[in-house]
Amino acid sequence: MFLQTLVTGLSIGGIYSLMAVGYSLIFSILSFSNFAHGAVIMLGAYIGLALATQLHLGLGLVVAGSVVGAGILSVCNERVAYAALRRRRAPSLFLMISAMGCSVFLENMVYATIGSRFYTFPEFFKRQVVHVAGSSLSLLDLFAFAVSIGAIFALHIFITRTKTGIAIRAGVGDMTMCSLMGVNTDRLISIVFFLAGAFAGVAGVFLGIKYLVYPTMGWVTNKAYIAAVIGGLGSLPGALIGGLILGVVETLVSTYLSSVMRDVFSFTMLITLLICLPNGLMGLETEEKV
Amino acid sequence: MLKKSIALCAIIALFSLSGAAFAAAPVKIGHTVSLTGGASMWGQSEANAIDMLVKKINAEGGLLGRQIEIVRYDNRADAIESVNVARRLAGDKVIAVIGPAQSGNAIATAPILERAKIPMVVTTATNPYVTVDQKTNKTRHYAFRPCFIDPFQGTVAARFAVDRLNAKRAAALYDVGSDYGQWLTRYFEEAFTARGGVVLAKEAFRSEELDYRAQLGKIKELNVDVIFIPTSQKEAAMAARQARDLGIEAVLLGTDNWGSPDLIDLGGDAIDRAFFVNLADLDDPDIRGFVTEYRETYGSDPVLPNPVMAQDALIMIVEAVKAAKSVDGPKLADALAHLKEIKVTSGVLTIDPTDHNPLDKPAVIQKVDVEKKEFVFVEKYQGK
Repeated sequence: MFLQTLVTGLSIGGIYSLMAVGYSLIFSILSFSNFAHGAVIMLGAYIGLALATQLHLGLGLVVAGSVVGAGILSVCNERVAYAALRRRRAPSLFLMISAMGCSVFLENMVYATIGSRFYTFPEFFKRQVVHVAGSSLSLLDLFAFAVSIGAIFALHIFITRTKTGIAIRAGVGDMTMCSLMGVNTDRLISIVFFLAGAFAGVAGVFLGIKYLVYPTMGWVTNKAYIAAVIGGLGSLPGALIGGLILGVVETLVSTYLSSVMRDVFSFTMLITLLICLPNGLMGLETEEKV
Repeated sequence: MLKKSIALCAIIALFSLSGAAFAAAPVKIGHTVSLTGGASMWGQSEANAIDMLVKKINAEGGLLGRQIEIVRYDNRADAIESVNVARRLAGDKVIAVIGPAQSGNAIATAPILERAKIPMVVTTATNPYVTVDQKTNKTRHYAFRPCFIDPFQGTVAARFAVDRLNAKRAAALYDVGSDYGQWLTRYFEEAFTARGGVVLAKEAFRSEELDYRAQLGKIKELNVDVIFIPTSQKEAAMAARQARDLGIEAVLLGTDNWGSPDLIDLGGDAIDRAFFVNLADLDDPDIRGFVTEYRETYGSDPVLPNPVMAQDALIMIVEAVKAAKSVDGPKLADALAHLKEIKVTSGVLTIDPTDHNPLDKPAVIQKVDVEKKEFVFVEKYQGK
């Protein structure tokens, strides 16, 4: 039973991590929590759904299409709603409020155009279950977990090893200095938003396959945001670890204590953690950024 | 300036006079419904069904010689929003209100309409405390419903589990944020225990959550015969998929909120051979006529049971107005309490004047048949 709980917890946590990365990326460079991320995930899921049901593409192409589509939407979101505020050097609180507005706008836009129906993806995986030492795990979960970890790792390599990645890290350190050194910050920010959108696309397709596609499905990003805070907002390894910890703790509490008390317990943990470690597990002491 | 305002007054007077000369003011009936939010699927279907019926009534001469006008606001299936909508409807001077559909929102709405002396006829809110005030245990003067109530539904589910499924060990999975799920779990447990069974686990999740593997993992260890899932169709479908993935073989047993055609699309093979209690049988000849008409008008299937219950609610109001020959709140409430054998969309309806619930409203057990893509009638339980 313990092993099963752990396996379930990790597979739930893997999805939290994937979504938390999007929050952390944007927070690291613009210091604000992009609450429209959940809506981009939702749109990513709809893009994937359209590719899968209308064009009958396979899983690989569906994920690729959703990654590109959600990435572009995320960049558009930044250009329309945040760029003007950013250039006027508005406090990050305003950006956050604008993000909340975008989230509500996008959700209701989907209600008004596509409607409120629940959709399911066609079955890419026949419901196959892998049994390991008495615990069962669906093939899809295993795949989703592997892809999540793989994508986060690839992002880490990109950020640390490529020229653009170095520019992003420089931007995280000091945006003004970075632009003085001849880096096009608008382009840099667009790249970051594209990356966050790409992760939203992957997360959207997996959420859609695992659960359902509907306008308020982005709700679950609340949990991912908390995961990002636990790990330390702005830190990529933090987002990964925070997501896994939250998933495992939630599952353990539901199994061994009480499912009614689960959120009471997990959120008490969050508050306690923030009191002791205000920057989260992997956040840096001196600043709120990486 | 003075001249201008006199001219304006004259114009306004002229308009209002001519309006009165052409037709009497319409009868306004309120509709509080979730057009967006998690329950919007039923809400939009409810709105369609009401519009369809109102059009028909108006074409046949309306109500007391006046046209019916529906005043509709979105309550987003949210208690706070429902209270706002109720206040707004009271301000709009509607003669009666249809909805809300959810028990929690109906319980939040009731006191406001009670004070405004506007009768409320809910659609599918099955909690007993919609029509009865929980604090005083007295029937609310202005609250009515066309659907059965949860103690009956919970009992029917428990009776079916014990008598037909030979279940002795049960578990429940419910939404901790919904009055509907919490109370049904309680009623099911009472009835199931009274019949010699035992409920080994009552696992909860938070509204909008779709991952129940933690809760189901615990239920798996308990080796139960049946899992009672009093939720709407999307949660039920997710629970079924995750339960089967975890290798749980127990029979799944649900309630009237499952009764939506997309249950099968969402649940796939996992939901096959599950049972649930429903308000009305889809093979009912009365409803068949409605379904055909709805399809012809809107080009899609109605999302049952809400649209049927909403039409029932509207017919209750219309019949009560005819009986009272008045749109006055107290008189209308009195007429609603004494409705007898009126013809409604779901069949024939009589209201019990003591608790404002329908008398003899039957419940049916339906079985999910994924291959045929339909709900198969299994058994019928008569009302009180």
